[in-house]
Amino acid sequence: MSPMKTPPTAAETRAALARQAAFAAADAAALDGLLSVRPPEAGPRPEPVWDEATVVSHEVVRERYRRLTLSCGTIAATALAGQFLMITVPPHGGERILLPRPMAIHRRNPLRGTIEVIYGVAGRGTTALAAVTPGQRLLVTGPLGRGFEFPAGTRRALMIGRGVGVCAVMGSVEDAEARGIRATLVASGRTRGSLIGAAECAELGARFIPVTDEEGSADLPALGALLRSEFAAGPPDVVFVCGAGVLTRLAAELGAEWGVPVQASLEAHMACGLGYCHGCAAPVRTDPAVEGPLVCVDGPVFDAAV
Amino acid sequence: MSETPRPTTDARRTFFAARPTAGATVDLGVSIGGLRLLNPVMPASGCFGPALGRLIPVDELGAVVTKTVFGVPRGGNPAHRLTEIRAGMVNSVGIPSRGAAGYLAELHPHYRALGPPVIISVGAHRPNGYAPVVRDLGAAGDAYELNVSCPNLDRDGTDIGSDPDAIESAVAAVRLETDKPIIVKLPVLASSIAECAQAAQAAGADAVCVANSIPALPLEAYTRAPAIGNVIGGLSGPSIRPIVLRLVWLAARSVDIPVIACGGIETADDALDYFSVGASAVQVGTASFARPFAMVEIVRTLQQRCTDDRVAGIRDLIDLWRAQ
Ligand SMILES: Cc1cc2nc3c(=O)[nH]c(=O)nc-3n(C[C@H](O)[C@H](O)[C@H](O)COP(=O)(O)OP(=O)(O)OC[C@H]3O[C@@H](n4cnc5c(N)ncnc54)[C@H](O)[C@@H]3O)c2cc1C
Ligand SMILES: Cc1cc2nc3c(=O)[nH]c(=O)nc-3n(C[C@H](O)[C@H](O)[C@H](O)COP(=O)(O)O)c2cc1C
Ligand code: FES
Repeated sequence: MSPMKTPPTAAETRAALARQAAFAAADAAALDGLLSVRPPEAGPRPEPVWDEATVVSHEVVRERYRRLTLSCGTIAATALAGQFLMITVPPHGGERILLPRPMAIHRRNPLRGTIEVIYGVAGRGTTALAAVTPGQRLLVTGPLGRGFEFPAGTRRALMIGRGVGVCAVMGSVEDAEARGIRATLVASGRTRGSLIGAAECAELGARFIPVTDEEGSADLPALGALLRSEFAAGPPDVVFVCGAGVLTRLAAELGAEWGVPVQASLEAHMACGLGYCHGCAAPVRTDPAVEGPLVCVDGPVFDAAV
Repeated sequence: MSETPRPTTDARRTFFAARPTAGATVDLGVSIGGLRLLNPVMPASGCFGPALGRLIPVDELGAVVTKTVFGVPRGGNPAHRLTEIRAGMVNSVGIPSRGAAGYLAELHPHYRALGPPVIISVGAHRPNGYAPVVRDLGAAGDAYELNVSCPNLDRDGTDIGSDPDAIESAVAAVRLETDKPIIVKLPVLASSIAECAQAAQAAGADAVCVANSIPALPLEAYTRAPAIGNVIGGLSGPSIRPIVLRLVWLAARSVDIPVIACGGIETADDALDYFSVGASAVQVGTASFARPFAMVEIVRTLQQRCTDDRVAGIRDLIDLWRAQ
């Protein structure tokens, strides 16, 4: 593993936190009234297991992320696109991490029995996770949750991911390739160097569209215009989105214009991942006397419509 | 493709297959009132659900405990409902509940199907609120645990269970409704845990559970904004263990009914710490999130320790070490 960069200055930290807070507020506002629980899936969900997964490799990717390749055959063989794992983080340097961390399953390789996860170092949990070394064993539970599903007859699909949110939609890009569906992945991020997905799309034969804040192409009006012209000849049959509330709103608006369904993957603080701790309330408006849906079992993928 | 996925196994499957054959000479059984449990290990309320039965052999547990059931449906608190800080886990889920009728219709059959005795946790906002819920639940529970100690119901994190008079009136009213064992789950922040436990015993409780999570206020790093939606939540996990150990010790000295210990238990050794200060049984909460098999591992380890030391049960195990 390469060492961490020099620690940020106080001013940089304040700026980053202000950005995060503004982002979180915009995110919550953008999602308001947009989401609903998807109708029951056609087939059974794979049975979740827990496993002592061997770390096959762990490396820095795309400036600010880390890719963890794990050997856990059952999960690799059964996970559906858009499902996630709970990763129990081993103690590091006297730090104990009590709650497992939810992570999207970025890639599945059932033949090798491996899966890939890509994460950003954010707080205590992911800082400790970054210290894991190849050969070490990690306790993982999965596959969990409700993933993305192509509506019957899908021929063209649009996937949109912001930052590490690209990982949640990558499984559906894999499935698209296997099913002869033409996939377009829009990866949005702050800088070119941070975008995930170009290599994966090249491998899977999907169209890759990078958009960034630094170039202005990730701004919502610019991105909306880009996608309208990209699909002027004929819209996609479905849109999958993950990583930002404002992108979910844009996707839902485009979906309404095109008359196609939109599915969005959400994040929430989680403890169990199985639906029994009731920690992961989804931002779906319901009767306040009745518990709303849970992100871990009713999602993380929900229908999004304006 | 010519390659086919290789046959797989996983640690979960191996764990299920490793079910120990019952050691004929070891008896971990414990009684709560008239209810006999196979062993003294059970989940803590809110940290368990029938879904965990997909990951672990739940039938190896002494009992299962439901999430707290209220009389009428409740929605629960706004996000974030939980977080982790250096001191431990903090939750303010706010006890979403389907109400007694909803519990009986939708959840109880799934708890019942797990096998072990079902202890139903019951909640209310006032001391006289518990008895009607127990009446509505009828004979469904094999025992009732009165949650008089949830830090999340009122914004200031105080509770019924810190007042011995309130405990006494709540338990006395429930005693009139059921012959099933009554467990009273006490709070950490009571001025005298002994008086609270004695009040429960005097009113006819069959056991006390010590304790619930500890009211706490977690802040986000740097911004110092409240880290959970309810502002105040309950701290749980290994850091609360020494605090709860003291309370269990105090409670066990002051009542004759069994004390069920709950707070930061992760391993068989943690459980033995509690047994050594007078607990008769243990509940495991936060530890199950990171290690779903923690409870079953504790049961198996306790059995193995007794077998290795050639003793009949946990009391002998503790006496053996004391004698050394
Ligand atoms: C279904 C799902 C899939 C995810 N997939 C990925 C992924 O592929 N790559 C990735 O980098 N991140 C992913 N996340 C987010 C990831 O779990 C959090 O970013 C991470 O837990 C926060 O970093 P930390 O543990 O270092 O933070 P800490 O500061 O240690 O976290 C403190 C507490 O807050 C919770 N928390 C903080 N931020 C988040 C968040 N955004 N989402 C959920 N919980 C949070 C933590 O779980 C923990 O309980 C996913 C989250 C969910 C729910
Ligand atoms: C997510 C969560 C939900 C909880 N819900 C309840 C509940 O509904 N009723 C209750 O009596 N205690 C509840 N508790 C408290 C636990 O039962 C237990 O008393 C506490 O967590 C301390 O034990 P631990 O350190 O082993 O977790 C909850 C705890 C957590 C972490
Ligand atoms: S994470 Fe426990 S209910 Fe969703």
